[in-house]
Amino acid sequence: MTRSKAGLAAVAVTAAASLVLAGCAQQSNSGPPAGSGAQPAVGFPETPPNPEVPGGKPGGVFRLGITEPTAIDPYNTQESEGQGVEDSLFTGLLEVTPDGEPVPGVATDWSPNDTCDTWTFNLKPGTKFHNGEIVDAAAFKRGWERASIKDSGSEVSYHLDVIKGYDEISSGAATEMSGVNASNPNQLVVTLKNADCEFPLRTIHPVAAPMPVAAGPTSNTAFNDAPIGNGPFKMDGKWNHDQGIRLVRFDDYTAGPKAFLDAIEFTIVSPSNGVQLEYDGFVNGTFDWARMPAPLIAQNRSTYEPQGKWISRKTNATNYFVTGDTTAPLNSVDARKAVSMAIDRNAIAQGVFKGAQVPATSMIPAAFRDVYQEGVCDACTFNLDEAKKLAEKAGLKPGTEINLFYNTGAGHEEWTAAVRQQLEKNLGLVVKYSGVPFNDHLNNLEAPTMSGLNRLAWSADYPTPGNFMIPLMATSSMKLDAQGNVKGNNYSRYSNPEFDALVLKASATKDEAERSKLWQQAEQMSIGRDLALMPMFQRQQFRLVATDRFANINMDFSENPTFDKIFLK
Amino acid sequence: MGKFILRRVGQAVIVVLAAILLVYVATYALGDPFASTGDRQVPPEIAAQNRAIFGLDQPLPIQYINYIGNLVTGDLGLDFDQRRPVIDMLGAVVPNTARLALVAILIDVAIGVIAGIIAAVKRYSFADVLVTVVSTVAIGVPTFVIGLGLLAFLSGVGPFPVVPRSFTDQVPWYQEVLLPAFALAIIDAAFVARLMRGSMLEVLRADYIRTARAKGVSERRVIGVHALRNSIIPVVTYVGVSLGTLLGGAIITEAIFQYDGVGYLLFRAIGSNNAPVISAVIVFGVIAYTVLSLIVDILYAFLDPRIRLN
Repeated sequence: MTRSKAGLAAVAVTAAASLVLAGCAQQSNSGPPAGSGAQPAVGFPETPPNPEVPGGKPGGVFRLGITEPTAIDPYNTQESEGQGVEDSLFTGLLEVTPDGEPVPGVATDWSPNDTCDTWTFNLKPGTKFHNGEIVDAAAFKRGWERASIKDSGSEVSYHLDVIKGYDEISSGAATEMSGVNASNPNQLVVTLKNADCEFPLRTIHPVAAPMPVAAGPTSNTAFNDAPIGNGPFKMDGKWNHDQGIRLVRFDDYTAGPKAFLDAIEFTIVSPSNGVQLEYDGFVNGTFDWARMPAPLIAQNRSTYEPQGKWISRKTNATNYFVTGDTTAPLNSVDARKAVSMAIDRNAIAQGVFKGAQVPATSMIPAAFRDVYQEGVCDACTFNLDEAKKLAEKAGLKPGTEINLFYNTGAGHEEWTAAVRQQLEKNLGLVVKYSGVPFNDHLNNLEAPTMSGLNRLAWSADYPTPGNFMIPLMATSSMKLDAQGNVKGNNYSRYSNPEFDALVLKASATKDEAERSKLWQQAEQMSIGRDLALMPMFQRQQFRLVATDRFANINMDFSENPTFDKIFLK
Repeated sequence: MGKFILRRVGQAVIVVLAAILLVYVATYALGDPFASTGDRQVPPEIAAQNRAIFGLDQPLPIQYINYIGNLVTGDLGLDFDQRRPVIDMLGAVVPNTARLALVAILIDVAIGVIAGIIAAVKRYSFADVLVTVVSTVAIGVPTFVIGLGLLAFLSGVGPFPVVPRSFTDQVPWYQEVLLPAFALAIIDAAFVARLMRGSMLEVLRADYIRTARAKGVSERRVIGVHALRNSIIPVVTYVGVSLGTLLGGAIITEAIFQYDGVGYLLFRAIGSNNAPVISAVIVFGVIAYTVLSLIVDILYAFLDPRIRLN
């Protein structure tokens, strides 16, 4: 083992050295350009979705590499990799398009009562699980109760916590979820604790999948490793842990169009060099879909984009700074805007990320095509003159101390260091720069003394902009404990009754177009006007895809291939 | 002999207990495995419940004693991530690592011993200089460079399978094991060659070699039997210890070649703060190492009757 450890240390040293070198390269890049005029576009443009081609025939095996998921049993499916498998195995009430639009899954239609606190889902009759069991309303109730019950150990069941009876079942006081009525096999009636006009979007989360009787409790390991679902693909054998997962087409699928592919093969790659392995696998012809290491993005784009084997998409996540909105020095809008305008996001995107991340000018990411407002954060554009003016107005004199905290070990060292350098150079601030492990970082965020800039990223659990607005900025999401610690996700302590009223109104608005407008207004107010949080970078994803062999490959909302549409050319 | 083995087993138990204690303290210092990390946001009450399930709500000494108690009964617990029995996870990878270790040792002994003998017998010849230079270079190059080099130039060529490959493309184990075994064997072979050369040179100067030659024993027999048997003792020590190390898992090499062995398991477990797996792998590594050194000690006696075990 000694030998291996020495090797490991060597890898670490090499990695550290390259960080330092990149940091130096960054220095020359991060200087502010003269003036504040129009800035060149940064990063790699998105590719338009591959158009849907008709004429698919059954056949073909689609292969890709993933890292070992936490679970593929919906009760505990968490990360994108697990979702890719789960989503092929299970079809929920609703499905989501690559653009984040909800479409019918097992439910044909869904409607609330006038107050949006009771929802009725009409189900397609007679759709089947892979073992032949019928998917009825009781199957959904079963699935939700199975995940929510106290002994399940689910880390995601809280997504169902808006349903009446969730608290009782998850605390062990009940064994049934009283808010779910499945007495009519083709109709599921759900009563909520509070009005939520977007409740159906929550059911897109894997945890809301239906369950056959055969599933048993979550402790049934045979089912955990070979879930019997109702999706377009079914398990071929069980999950070979750390080796792979093979799915085959479910020919009795009637909840939607049948899939074309004969099989999907998920080969499990090492998390440490998974991206490199996916890439190597694409190059050696093993994989049909792959990520690539960041330094190779530019080179691969020029090789593969002309061949149509390149997908580039902004996805559902934003990297941002939690600002201390109630503690000096960022407790005024002017101060926050001054700091934000003094950061040259473009320079960092080019210098540090080499175009792999793009500057964010909004909190709600571009993945929400209907609500996305590019530039809603006007203070997210580098403007040194304005920044200096605002800083003076806000009393941010040179020499003012400001915290800049980040969590270590997740690749945030370089770009936060660049931000520090810019703030020191551009505004003369004294930056107290500190990186700690994520848990300590969270403790810092929760504490009443939290101030300055604190790195964090957020992605929506289900496709609603409300999942950015409410948890991060609503007063109700502060959840202060007796010591004044934040126990919700509103670490900035942004509290604006006007905003709270607006997001409540949005949540309680039935009409989708009108609701989208309200989300936009909420963002204009909280981000555009108040800069309650400081958007920094947009998540953008790049994939190499074997379009020479397969048609209809696109990236879905959770960054996986649209397996059920792909067919062999 | 019985007393000797008993004493060594007693020592081994102490070593294992101490190793577990160290691992426990180290993984405890890594922090709470059920807390929110990055994208994963775990509600505090669920995290608390999970801690209770795994007994992490108890003080460290109690946890340690419970673990030892379970270990004695062969219960290695469940892993934190997927709640799989750790004994199964370990059981699945140990045969792979054992194969890798044995093939690597065979390769390094074959190359190392032959190269060492040639270098010693033809001292200062071109072959000797070549062995010295090549072994110096091989010792100096880190394992991961050799691994990545072999992977880049040889995988997919001839009998060596491509990496990565789809898990459904089954490759016979002897093909899969070749490249990682070479990567591991190269440095060891270099060490063995140097040990062999040095020790052989020493033995060749001994009186009994001259006697053997004087008696008219063939040169082949002098080198192959008389000298070899006496000069191979340091090599046996080194190879035995090296085998013990390899059985504990070759983290870097197994990760580079996606080889599903003990080292790769440990590597992933460390990455996900999966203490039950980390402890199990290290306990296994310590036991493998201790047992192998015991066997080496016993082998001494057979190779050299002059060595007494007490």
